[in-house]
Amino acid sequence: MFTVLLALMLALTAVLSACGGKSDNGGTNAANSNTAGRSENGGGSNAGSGSEGSGGGDAPKPVTLKVLWWGGQTRHDNTLKIIELYQQQNPHVTIEPEFTGFDGYWEKLSAMVAGNNTPDVLQMNFGEYLTQYAKNDVLADLNPFVESGIIDTSKLDAGIMESGVVDGKLLGIPLGMNALTVIYDPELIKQAGAQEPALGWTWDDFKAIARTVHQNLGIYGSPTLEANNILEYYARQNDQKFFSDDGTGVGFDDQIFIDYFNMQVELIKEGVMPSLDVMQQHSALEDQLIVHGKAPFDVRWSNQVVALAKAANRPLKLTVLPGPNTEKGLFLKPAMFFSVAKDSKNAEEAAKFINFFVNSLEVEEIQKGERGVPINAEIREAISKQLDEVQKNMFDYIDLAAANSSPIDTNYPVGSAEVLNLLGTDIEDRILFAEMSPEDGAAKFREQTADILARKR
Amino acid sequence: MATRKAGGYRNLTGYAFISPFLIGFFGLTVIPVAMTLYLSFTDYNMLRPPEWIGLEHYERMFTKDEKFWHSLRVTFFYTFTAVPLRLIVALAIAMLVAKIVRGAGFYRTVLYLPSIIGGSVAVAVMWRQLFGLEGAINTILKWLGLSGVSWLGDPKYAIWTLILLYGWQFGSSMLIFLAGLKNIPNDYYEAASVDGAGSVTMFFRITLPLLTPVILFNVVIQLINGFLAFTPAYVIFGDGRPLGATLMYVLYLFQNAFTFFDMGYASGMAWVLLVIVGLLTALIFKSSEYWVHYESKGDR
Repeated sequence: MFTVLLALMLALTAVLSACGGKSDNGGTNAANSNTAGRSENGGGSNAGSGSEGSGGGDAPKPVTLKVLWWGGQTRHDNTLKIIELYQQQNPHVTIEPEFTGFDGYWEKLSAMVAGNNTPDVLQMNFGEYLTQYAKNDVLADLNPFVESGIIDTSKLDAGIMESGVVDGKLLGIPLGMNALTVIYDPELIKQAGAQEPALGWTWDDFKAIARTVHQNLGIYGSPTLEANNILEYYARQNDQKFFSDDGTGVGFDDQIFIDYFNMQVELIKEGVMPSLDVMQQHSALEDQLIVHGKAPFDVRWSNQVVALAKAANRPLKLTVLPGPNTEKGLFLKPAMFFSVAKDSKNAEEAAKFINFFVNSLEVEEIQKGERGVPINAEIREAISKQLDEVQKNMFDYIDLAAANSSPIDTNYPVGSAEVLNLLGTDIEDRILFAEMSPEDGAAKFREQTADILARKR
Repeated sequence: MATRKAGGYRNLTGYAFISPFLIGFFGLTVIPVAMTLYLSFTDYNMLRPPEWIGLEHYERMFTKDEKFWHSLRVTFFYTFTAVPLRLIVALAIAMLVAKIVRGAGFYRTVLYLPSIIGGSVAVAVMWRQLFGLEGAINTILKWLGLSGVSWLGDPKYAIWTLILLYGWQFGSSMLIFLAGLKNIPNDYYEAASVDGAGSVTMFFRITLPLLTPVILFNVVIQLINGFLAFTPAYVIFGDGRPLGATLMYVLYLFQNAFTFFDMGYASGMAWVLLVIVGLLTALIFKSSEYWVHYESKGDR
């Protein structure tokens, strides 16, 4: 008995020390953000000038807003500058910033929610996250602030604003937008003697160009496509949805799934697309086939283009995804939202801050599209003159996509993260490694998706 | 009466002195662990209060969840290959280092370094470079006239890159072996060599038997570490790819908790792991009666 106890104790200590490392990291992050907060506050109180908020005659009473976001170092630096600017213009507002990378963000946020410590303003993600937080009633309805004019939506893209609406409540204001895009290398395509893709092209054209490049240049014609992003487009261009409307299962026919994967299975067999083990070696964004000149195509979210083009260091062009029915399949996606906590005591001030974020040119002059292409058309126009070539291409592409797309499907059920994980790391890999036929994959995906969604309801 | 009171105060003083440990042990260990046991019987996504569902999680784990069994297989394979590898390497290196007289401290430090930088992202990046299609390992294989292998992309080989990484971080085991080796009196070897024993015989007849208590300790610690392996798989492969070949148990547990927001299920998995590791450790302790030699029988 003693040995069993001892063994359990040993195991316990080890398990816990492993977990301890995790929480230490959280602690460091929090400490960092606190220091940052203090220095920002100092900046705010020193600068007393600047226009007051919409305070009327009386001096507004001081408030403190907690703002939480995820991002990389660039976004952290930008956002801290924006906050400083806002505090200068609104001396009665003190903002306590907190930030982490995307990894760890949802743990942090859910811990804060569980501790009744939800930040006043928080960055929110489209899809399963918004659904989850909406379902648990964490976020405030921003419609009253739009009606009272605190958040001015007159210049904001109406289509993309829809993405923040759940059950008639406006739960998030998009901060920027993205769209799926085909990135191509015009030089490689020209060398191979093929025609550059253009609006109105189809999957057949895509296959033809890929084959020509492969045959004439001896490189790959295209990387394999990521089902997590592109299968939804493929379903939509065939007038179907990824998830069924009632949120209990797959929303498209098996045949769609089979056609989608057959195209790639065929191209992999011909050597036009690489096998999956080659793809796995090129998983980092800066390490994609197109960056190394090993393929003329890549399909990505538009905000990833900047990093990709910088790594490639030669001109790359953007166009819409292949048709038919590109305009049905393609959609603008909110890169992220700002939401307000339902139990925030300063919801109105939080709404003012969000209004400042989406409707001031100064904000975008600091972040220059880092949170996605601005949803305010005037700002988009004004800022695009200050951008470099690559960023400008991305902005132009969003205009093209906006004109050739339909509204995003917002019916992501709560379990969709697990469904996408199943598709993207399990079923897709098995089909592309030829361990499973697309037909079996379709059946398996349908069955397991229904299981997951039934469990998560 | 008075003495008892004084004794009470004395105890109190004692408890006060160890209170940092007690607070940590109960606040950060016992209570949270007890809570995970409760949570494992609930449906809990961190946003809503937990909802009691009885044994449902365990039922799904054992009867329906293919990935659970798959991740267990991966982890057992990993542990039972990587741990012996690390221990053999550690013992071999320890025996070499024990022979070094000049600059021993330097070698010890350098050999211990990989263990310190172990799970860092830098090592993950380095590993990806080393084992990449055009990485150092494949280049060396080509010089030797062998064809390269897709180490990171092929499900057959991916797990081996993690096993090698675990083997490479032999530092702490090495130091413990080193201490054990220093404890073996030189007289034994001298006596054996007088009797005409060769170095192989001495290793198997003297070194190994006398090291068994240290081996026992190392096996237990490393076995637990092996089952808890998470960071390397997470930073090198991320999501268990290719084809789930690197889906370690703890990685899958982490996915359930923080990707799928299923804290109840993740807690259940943690308890299953605790029981498995506990049973294995108990088994090793039980078996130690047959293979661990303590020099002075009286102690045992």
